[in-house]
Amino acid sequence: MASSPQRRIDVAGLVIALILLVLAGIVWWDMTKLQILSPYDLGPKVMPVIVSGGLTLLAIGNAIGALRGTLPDRDSLDWKPIILILGGLACLIALIAFGGGFMIGTALLFAATSTAFGRRAFVTDFIIGAVIAVFIYLLFAKLLTLSLPAGPLENLF
Amino acid sequence: MTQFRKGLWRSALAAAAVAGFVTSAAAQMELKIMAPAAPGGGWDQTARSMQQALTQAGIAKSVQVTNVPGAGGSIGIAQLVNNSKGDGNQLMVMGYVMVGALLTNKSPITLDQTTPIARLTAEYEAIVVPADSPIKTAKELADALKADPAKVTWAGGSAGGVDHIAAALFAKAAGADPTKINYIPFSGGGEALAAILGGKVTAGISGYGEFESQIKAGKLRLLGLTTPANQGTADKPSIQAQGIDIDIANWRAVVAPPGISADQKKALVDAMDEMAKSAEWQAILKQKGWEDSYVSGDAFAKILQQEQARTKEILASVGLVKS
Amino acid sequence: MEAFVSLANGLAVAIQPANLLFALIGVLLGTAVGVLPGIGPALTVALLLPITFKLDPAGSIIMFAGIYYGGMYGGSTTAILINTPGESASMATALEGNLMAKAGRGGPALATSAIGSFVAGTIATLGLTLLAPYLVEIAVSFGPEDYFALMVVAFVTVSATFGDSPVRGLTSLFIGLLLGLVGIDILSGQSRLSFGVPELYDNIEVTTLAVGLFAVGEALYVASRRHVHEEKLEAVRGSLWMTKEDWKRSWKPWLRGTMFGFPIGALPAGGAEIPTFLSYATERRLTKHPEDFGKGAIEGVAGPEAANNASAAGTLVPLLTLGLPTSATAAMLLAGFQQYGLNPGPLLFADQPNLVWGLIASLFIANAMLLVLNLPLVGLWVRLLAIPQPWLYAGILVFATMGTIAANPSPVELIMLTVFGVLGFLMRRFDFPIAPVVVGLILGPIAESQLRRALSISLGDPMTLLQSPISATLLAIALIALVLPFFLNGMGRFKAVED
Repeated sequence: MASSPQRRIDVAGLVIALILLVLAGIVWWDMTKLQILSPYDLGPKVMPVIVSGGLTLLAIGNAIGALRGTLPDRDSLDWKPIILILGGLACLIALIAFGGGFMIGTALLFAATSTAFGRRAFVTDFIIGAVIAVFIYLLFAKLLTLSLPAGPLENLF
Repeated sequence: MTQFRKGLWRSALAAAAVAGFVTSAAAQMELKIMAPAAPGGGWDQTARSMQQALTQAGIAKSVQVTNVPGAGGSIGIAQLVNNSKGDGNQLMVMGYVMVGALLTNKSPITLDQTTPIARLTAEYEAIVVPADSPIKTAKELADALKADPAKVTWAGGSAGGVDHIAAALFAKAAGADPTKINYIPFSGGGEALAAILGGKVTAGISGYGEFESQIKAGKLRLLGLTTPANQGTADKPSIQAQGIDIDIANWRAVVAPPGISADQKKALVDAMDEMAKSAEWQAILKQKGWEDSYVSGDAFAKILQQEQARTKEILASVGLVKS
Repeated sequence: MEAFVSLANGLAVAIQPANLLFALIGVLLGTAVGVLPGIGPALTVALLLPITFKLDPAGSIIMFAGIYYGGMYGGSTTAILINTPGESASMATALEGNLMAKAGRGGPALATSAIGSFVAGTIATLGLTLLAPYLVEIAVSFGPEDYFALMVVAFVTVSATFGDSPVRGLTSLFIGLLLGLVGIDILSGQSRLSFGVPELYDNIEVTTLAVGLFAVGEALYVASRRHVHEEKLEAVRGSLWMTKEDWKRSWKPWLRGTMFGFPIGALPAGGAEIPTFLSYATERRLTKHPEDFGKGAIEGVAGPEAANNASAAGTLVPLLTLGLPTSATAAMLLAGFQQYGLNPGPLLFADQPNLVWGLIASLFIANAMLLVLNLPLVGLWVRLLAIPQPWLYAGILVFATMGTIAANPSPVELIMLTVFGVLGFLMRRFDFPIAPVVVGLILGPIAESQLRRALSISLGDPMTLLQSPISATLLAIALIALVLPFFLNGMGRFKAVED
């Protein structure tokens, strides 16, 4: 790759380096709380020390790369679809955590994702998602007797 | 469709009632059994076997099994105590392993918060050595341990589990320092077994079932089982009878949520009593090779107390729990 | 020769119509559950055990074996088509396979995977027939130090998945090693990086990480770039079937993959993931078309798929000869044997020859069935890619989350899936390779625990690593693998200069 003199410092690259450093710190801090129990065991601390040390070195390596501007170019980013998909996942998680059952959550996730990919038919997609969820529910719960997180809808079956 | 189904249900129930074997109130029970582990494991198999026995013997109308896996049962018991308080139809399968796991995981929830119902099965621990090992008896293993605990390497299950506790108890009973045992935890039964067969370790310790076929094939030598002295047989000798005082079993039991009424508790204990006697349950025990060790109600509650105290002590002595 | 006579008898058992039917049900069920991430053959067998109790032992064990093999096929189908590895062993397949599918070569990718699985499964089953008693001796003599050395070899060779920048590749690997630390340390019973969250005590599930990074991460990435970079999926470009060139490029990787998969699968702590990655790395190094790697190289599908299936047969070696279950599925098969009062182990071959040889013969049949079932389906599967993009990705996300919920219905598991999805998105955006994260998560904990076991047994003497002949040999291989590329690269550069 030809190096161009106008390369700017890559801020995102520096943030990555910083995150790695923070991770290294967390691993180290967590390691200090461990004890060596068996007199013959190398102990649970050795691996965290290696990982923490490696991450620190890699943070430096990434920082150098960022300062030199060697990170690859990136396209502009459209945040809206990402928020839609993550929102769909968050709804599913919340519904399962608070006993709303997975069916509504799955239908929501399906509709949200397909909206994120440019479809404009939320209700139709919601219904499609719900049909898939019912199908999966019947397959798992009835055929394999697995218990899936149930809410009001699931209890109808 | 639903109408038809309901009708079918009713006639089936009626038929069952007419059959007459069904015992009054218990037959109306709609039980939920939680296995605090993923499908397939020992606790899950126990839950599903109970489901089979309870419904086939007509003790319960329906039994639903749910799985709440994670952290040696810590997540399941948390859910039982927090979300099922006062639910007289809920049961949870548990076992000796959970006693240790709750201690080592520093779980904020303890078994004291549950309502003990019954102990169902037990499996004794077996100590084996490779067939070509110079060690022939449990006594010789104890002597080797006393001479230098570092040189006696043990292969067994995860740290703090029943195998580890049994090894520490053995060392203690042998007069060696239990904190100095060279116990090497392996992840699966198969991996530990391979290490023993390959002669990588001095001895292996695990449930008898793990070793049974190797012992019969003459690839492993059984030094003994952790059975009480009077229960030893010629091909399954008791270690206690060989002068090393150790008595431990990996049992499985059921408990109910906290806050259930005395009547609800009695109904559950009665249902378990009835199940334990049923031909269906006995057939399952035989088929799975599980040893019946049925104890219910207050007697089981007392055992649970004792096991907790003893386990805490031994885990503290190997450093896994701060006393 | 004795083995062949026994096998012929076994074949007679296996081709009884009822047993053929059981094998068919098994492979169909296996394929269905293999497709779903999180739900695998082990879980299916576990759930079917109570139902099959009333069946005849031979029939139900034959069915379980069918489920096992079927699961391996199903897992790779989704890995190739929608980048969602249904089993952790299909991860290496997803790397090149999905790229092929996106380039309209999903047909050949599925075909090479199906045929490769058949070839590998057949050779490995033959190996099981003939070599089991010898192989198992070696397998049992593998000690912790030898496993550690094997991990070193694996670490050295998987650097092939690092992409062009060593710093970014190593960064990914260390993220994986960090994730591997999470949970209870098996040797000391203490929890690391769990922050008191009990759901984290059980270590991070490999499939959760893989599905998060591969499937969710990719959905996010593609969605975020739609406005600048409309992804056009062509279901079929060129031939739906393997061309002559494809065959030429596939057969050697099939055989090499088998050579990795079968013996490593037969090791008590071998597993299927390590041979698939070793095979991927090897094919990447040996290929005559290095330019295709990263764009969809057929060798990168053929090798790992063969390794995957061969290791499944390898797992049966310690199971049948010693009663050693070395994988979750094998443990369930063992439970299946035991519910009929049969104890796999040294005596099983002598006591129940019809059953054992019937099982082995039915493995051949299951393999053939899977090939016959899967090849005609290739065309149908590939049509999946013609589903409109919004629905395709929505379906992928539903699949990914459902698999996770069914295996462990906990919100924490889903949160982890989402977090890994975001991680996968960021890594794609900043051009960090994804595969090393998964490699780190798989290999890191094994390497650590085996080294610590070896040192515990030797009372802290590191020389134990060199005293074992197996370990010493493997470490030497690792050293050569580490040094050799520098020489070759150096020569390659000279050549480039000359050109």
